[in-house]
Amino acid sequence: MKIIAGIDIGNATTETAVAGTEYGKVEFLASGIASTTGIKGTSDNIKGVFNSLAKALKAAGLTEKDLDEIRINEAAPVIGDVAMETITETIITESTMIGHNPSTPGGLGVVSGITVLLSDIAKAEQGTAHVVVVPDDISFEDAADAINSFAEMMDIKAAIVQSDDGVLIDNRLNKPIPIVDEVSLIDKVPLGMMCAVEVAAPGGVVEVLSNPYGIATMFGLDPEETRQIVPIARALIGNRSAVVIKTPEGDVKERRIPAGIIEISGSRNKVTVDVDEGSDKIMQAIDLAGDMQDASGESGTNAGGMLDKVKLVMAQLTGQSIREIKIQDILAVDTFTPQKVRGGLANEYSEENAVGIAAMVKADKLQMEKIAEELTEKIGVPVKVGGVEADMAIRGALTTPGTDKPLAIIDMGAGSTDASIITDDRRITSIHLAGAGNMVTLLIKSELGLRDFETAEDIKKYPLAKVESLFHIRHEDGTVQFFDKPLDSKLFARVVILKDGNMIPLEGEHNSIEKIRLVRKNAKQKVFVTNALRALSRVSPTGNVRDIPFVVLVGGSALDFEVPQLVTDGLSQYKIVSGRANVRGAEGPRNAVATGLVLAMSEEDGK
Amino acid sequence: MNIDQEELRNIVADVLKEMDLGGEEAPAQVSAASRTTVSAASAGRTESASGQLILTEEGEAKSGTAVDEVVLGITPAFGIYQTSTIIGIPHADVIKEIMAGIEEEGMKCRVVRVYRTADVSFVGHDAAVLSGSGVGIGIQSKGTTVIHQKDLPPLSNLELFSQAPLIDLPTYRQLGKNAAKYAKGESPNPVPVRNDQMARPKYQAIAALLHIKEAEHQDVKKKPQAVRVEFK
Repeated sequence: MKIIAGIDIGNATTETAVAGTEYGKVEFLASGIASTTGIKGTSDNIKGVFNSLAKALKAAGLTEKDLDEIRINEAAPVIGDVAMETITETIITESTMIGHNPSTPGGLGVVSGITVLLSDIAKAEQGTAHVVVVPDDISFEDAADAINSFAEMMDIKAAIVQSDDGVLIDNRLNKPIPIVDEVSLIDKVPLGMMCAVEVAAPGGVVEVLSNPYGIATMFGLDPEETRQIVPIARALIGNRSAVVIKTPEGDVKERRIPAGIIEISGSRNKVTVDVDEGSDKIMQAIDLAGDMQDASGESGTNAGGMLDKVKLVMAQLTGQSIREIKIQDILAVDTFTPQKVRGGLANEYSEENAVGIAAMVKADKLQMEKIAEELTEKIGVPVKVGGVEADMAIRGALTTPGTDKPLAIIDMGAGSTDASIITDDRRITSIHLAGAGNMVTLLIKSELGLRDFETAEDIKKYPLAKVESLFHIRHEDGTVQFFDKPLDSKLFARVVILKDGNMIPLEGEHNSIEKIRLVRKNAKQKVFVTNALRALSRVSPTGNVRDIPFVVLVGGSALDFEVPQLVTDGLSQYKIVSGRANVRGAEGPRNAVATGLVLAMSEEDGK
Repeated sequence: MNIDQEELRNIVADVLKEMDLGGEEAPAQVSAASRTTVSAASAGRTESASGQLILTEEGEAKSGTAVDEVVLGITPAFGIYQTSTIIGIPHADVIKEIMAGIEEEGMKCRVVRVYRTADVSFVGHDAAVLSGSGVGIGIQSKGTTVIHQKDLPPLSNLELFSQAPLIDLPTYRQLGKNAAKYAKGESPNPVPVRNDQMARPKYQAIAALLHIKEAEHQDVKKKPQAVRVEFK
C-alpha cells in the first residue's frame, strides 16, 4: 500500500489529508490543519506545510519516512486586499445646531427663545422668551437657584448647559424646562439668537426638530428657507435632545469628499466611475466593462492611492514589477463610519458614508513549483504540484453525502470568494472574486468605530453575550446561562465575545449588543451573499443562477456560525439547494482541496 | 529594587519634614475637627465650599429593596474625626460630587457608615450588600474609593481608585456616575485612573498615619448605621 498526502495551502490555513492507496482504492487515514505561514503562494508557506503535515502524520501514527508521495495544490494565484474611503463629511457653520446625544438631558418638551448667558439674564429684555446658556463655572445648585429666582420675572424656556448637569438642575427647578447638557464648546453658542430646544422622553427621539416643517413652524420659515434647513433636520434624526439656532448665515452641509475616479479596462469596454458615487455605481461600471483586465485610480486622488497600495503590496510579495500586477476584480460595498462633525459644539459624531473596496490581483504562477522543489529537498519525498485548485476542491466537495453532478461550490476564504461548477460531462469552470472574510472584518471595524482589526475579527467570528450579573449572562438570542462560580469582575455589565469558552469584554458604551449584531450580520450579508450570487451567475453555463441545482459551501468562512445560513437563505430565493459541505462525511467544509488531491493521485495510480 | 539604609532614612526624613510643613494647614483641620464637639459621636459638622456637612445617624442601616439606589459606605471617622481627604478636599465636596454623579444618572444615593472596619474594600462590599441594586461605593476618610458589587469577593471590585492623592472632584463625580450606570446594567467605560509613581513615596507615611487614626474609631461589633446627609 502506498501512503500519499495531499496538502492545500490556503490564505489562512494549510490543510493536509493523508491516505493509503492500493489498486485505485483509497483509505483516508488522517487530516491535519495548521495556520498558513506568510502570504499564500510564497516560499514562506513551507513552515506551515510542515506543521500541517506533521499533525496529520502524528494522528495517523506515521512518520515522514512512510510517505511515498506528496501533492500540493496549484494555488489559485489570486490575492486580495481591502481598503476604505470616506466619501461624505458633515460641516456645521456658524454653530447652527447642537446635535450630540447626551445620555442624560433634563426636562421634557420643545420650546424656543432668544439665547442669553445665565449671568446676563437680569439685564435681558422682559416679556420675551429666553433660552439660558450655562457655562461650567456655574455649579448646578447656583444655576438652579438662578433659574428659579428669575422664573417669576423672566420667561425662561430652556437651558443649554456645558457640564453634565442636566438632570441635577432639572431636579432642583420649581418649574421644569428642557435642558440640553454636555455642550463642551459652550462659548461658541451664538447669543441673542432665536433658538429652539427639544428634549424627548427617555426612550424617545426628537420629533419636531428632526422634521423640516417642524423647524419651519418654530421659526416661521418661508418655503425657500425650509428647503435649506433639511440637512439640519436630517442630522438630528434619532437624537434624544437637540438644539437649533437660527443665525443669518448658519447652515449644515453634507459635503461629498472628492475621492477620485477609477478606470476599469474590461473585455468589452473601458469604463470610468467616480468613487464618491457609491458602491452601486461602481458595481454597475464593473458589469458594463465585462471581464476585468485591469483597474487603476486617478493618480493623486484617494482612489488612486488605494488601488496603487494594493498593487504595491502584491508586487512586493511576488517580486514582480508593479506594472505587471493587474487587478482582476473589485467588490465595492457601501458602508459608514463615525466621524467627528466639523464645527460641532458638543463633539458631535456623524455616521458618514464610506465605500469599502476589495481588490483582487493575479499573481505569479511559478511560485508553487518553487515551493514543491524546496519541499522535495527538505523532506526527501517526491512533491508534485497537482491539479487546478478549483478542480480538486470539486472532487473533495463531491465526497459530501447527498451531492451529485452538476454541482457548484463556493469557496469563501479570507481574501477571495471562488466559485466552480462541474457539469454532467465533467467540464469544470471556475472564477475568483474579490471580497471575503477580510472585507467583512473591515466593514465591522469601520462601522463600529473600532481601533484594532483583531477585535473586529473576533466580533466577526464569535457570538456575543451580555454579562447581566456575576452569575448569569444573556446570549445575543435572549437565552440566559447561569454559572455556579462568580465571573471575573472585569466582565460585569459588559458586552462580551464568547471566544472558545473565554469571555472577552468589549470597550465602548455606545455599542450595544443589538447594534453590534446588526452591523455584523449586515456586513456578512453585503459581502458573502452578494458575492455568492455574483460568482454563481458568472459560472452558470446559462448565465442564470437558477440553473444550478446544488451548491455546497467550502472554505474557512463556511465554518462561520452564521454565514452558511445567510447564504443558504439568500440562495433559497433562487430555488437552489445550498449548504455547508461535509467533506468525506466527516471533515465539514474543511479539507476539500487536500482530499481532492489525494483522490486525483489514487485515480492516476489505479490506471 | 535595592535601597540602601541611608537613602531610606533620607526619604523618611523628607516625608516627615513635608508633614511638618503641611502641619500648618491640613492637620490643623484634623485637630479642629477632633475638637468639634461631637455630641454622642453621631453628628459631624465640617465647613467647605458646599457648606457645612451634617451627617446624622439614624439607627441600623437596612437592606435596601429599591433597584434604583446606590449605597455609599463611609468609614468610621469620615466627616467626623477627619474632614478632608489626604490632599485637603473637604469631605462635604467629595460626598456632594459622588451624590451628584449618581443623581445625574437618575438613581438615588443612600449613605451608611460602616464601623466594623476601615478597609475600603470591605466598606464598599458592605455597602453593596445593603444596596438594592447590588452596587455600592466605599470611601475612606483619606479619599481612597472603590465601586463594589455584592456578588464579588470583598477584595475584588468593579473599579478601584487606590491613589487617594490623585483623586479630584471631577473624578468623584465621574465615579458616582459610573456606579449608577453599573446599577442600571449599563456598561460604562471605567473612569480613567491617574497614576503617579511619586505619590507613594510622597504620601505613604501620611496615608499610613491617617489610616491608623481612622482605624482607632473602628467598632467590630457595631452594625452599619444609616446616615442622613445635609449641607447647610
